[in-house]
Amino acid sequence: MAETTQLELVTPARIMAQQAVEMVVAPGVEGLFGVLPRHAPLLADLTRGVVELYQNGKVTDRFMIDGGLADVSGASVTILAERAIHLGSADAAQLKTQAADASDDEADFLNAAIGALS
Amino acid sequence: MASLKDLKTRINSVKSTQKITAAMKMVAAAKLRRAQDAAESGRPYSTRMRQVIGNLASKADAASAPQLLVGNGKDQTHLLVVMSADRGLCGGFNGTVTRQTRAEAARLRAENKTVKLLMVGRKSADALRREFGDLYLDQYEGLQGTSVSYSDAAKIAETIRTGFEAGEFDVCTLIFNKFKNAITQEITLTQLIPAEVDNSDAADGDAATVSYEYEPEEDELLASLLPRNLSTQMYGALLESSAAELAARMTAMDNATRNAGELIDRLTLVYNRTRQANITSELIEIISGAEAI
Repeated sequence: MAETTQLELVTPARIMAQQAVEMVVAPGVEGLFGVLPRHAPLLADLTRGVVELYQNGKVTDRFMIDGGLADVSGASVTILAERAIHLGSADAAQLKTQAADASDDEADFLNAAIGALS
Repeated sequence: MASLKDLKTRINSVKSTQKITAAMKMVAAAKLRRAQDAAESGRPYSTRMRQVIGNLASKADAASAPQLLVGNGKDQTHLLVVMSADRGLCGGFNGTVTRQTRAEAARLRAENKTVKLLMVGRKSADALRREFGDLYLDQYEGLQGTSVSYSDAAKIAETIRTGFEAGEFDVCTLIFNKFKNAITQEITLTQLIPAEVDNSDAADGDAATVSYEYEPEEDELLASLLPRNLSTQMYGALLESSAAELAARMTAMDNATRNAGELIDRLTLVYNRTRQANITSELIEIISGAEAI
């Protein structure tokens, strides 16, 4: 088993993910960046985009986040996002109905998530 | 001695009070579960945010770092953000916040500091208006209860931030009831500005000593992170306070229901005794009347 990084994805509502992964790709404000184990400590501002978790060289899970903060230190990556959607379990039709009742800002985010799904 | 009719009225009125308190207790208990879930699941986010900020604050250079993080170097004017409930009937909940605020204000004044207040929630704002009304910076109502929203928290945070940038105050402290469990609330004081330096995680010793890389540049990152941290802390506190309020109300109403029950028992006893005394005295009257003939 290859070396892993402990990833935590936390929103104000709950802990979305907490698992060991091989690599995390996160949407930084200056572009996508990947985090492998033993990455140098990094504090990065994130923008709206998709967080991808890699295991054995393949994407195992994807999350849509609406900006946030990534705190990379030693053996762990903590992503603090104000809003996040688990794309693995999301359903485009359901998101669409949610987006219809949501405020502009939130609908925008949900539509972006639908875009990332397809 | 009260007449039978008076006693009957009294018993009935206590009974209806008991029904009301029992209903309020159940409403609070039902709402509490959701509020408690929200408060507890919101904790990881705000704790981690606080850790990151604390970490940054411990490394920040007082001269160049943003003032929201390290303060503006002065310690003269203190802003107390006081978070109480909008409604009463929740035991000592609002009283504790009010008392703590009064004590804190007195302490700061004894040190010759200036005190200003930002009131969230109606009850403490009303209770302290006569004493400190002229010091209120702003006042918010109707944010707590079942629907705490992040945007409300962000609004308060924005008021605090603009106030700080306008030099209205130098230090900002938040006073609120933290939800501990269904029967205990813990009055908590958290310093928001400048950020509290995090010395707690000594276990993370090596992580704390290494210097971070920043993306984008440190100032830019902090400029977007610090306001967000303020909103997060406000949001966390609102959630905690709402859950604590419901828990306090549940306990208080449970006590009230029990007390009403005891009162009803006592009054019923007095009622029955009075009734028997009346019957006895009527009998005596009849018998002594019959004997007299």
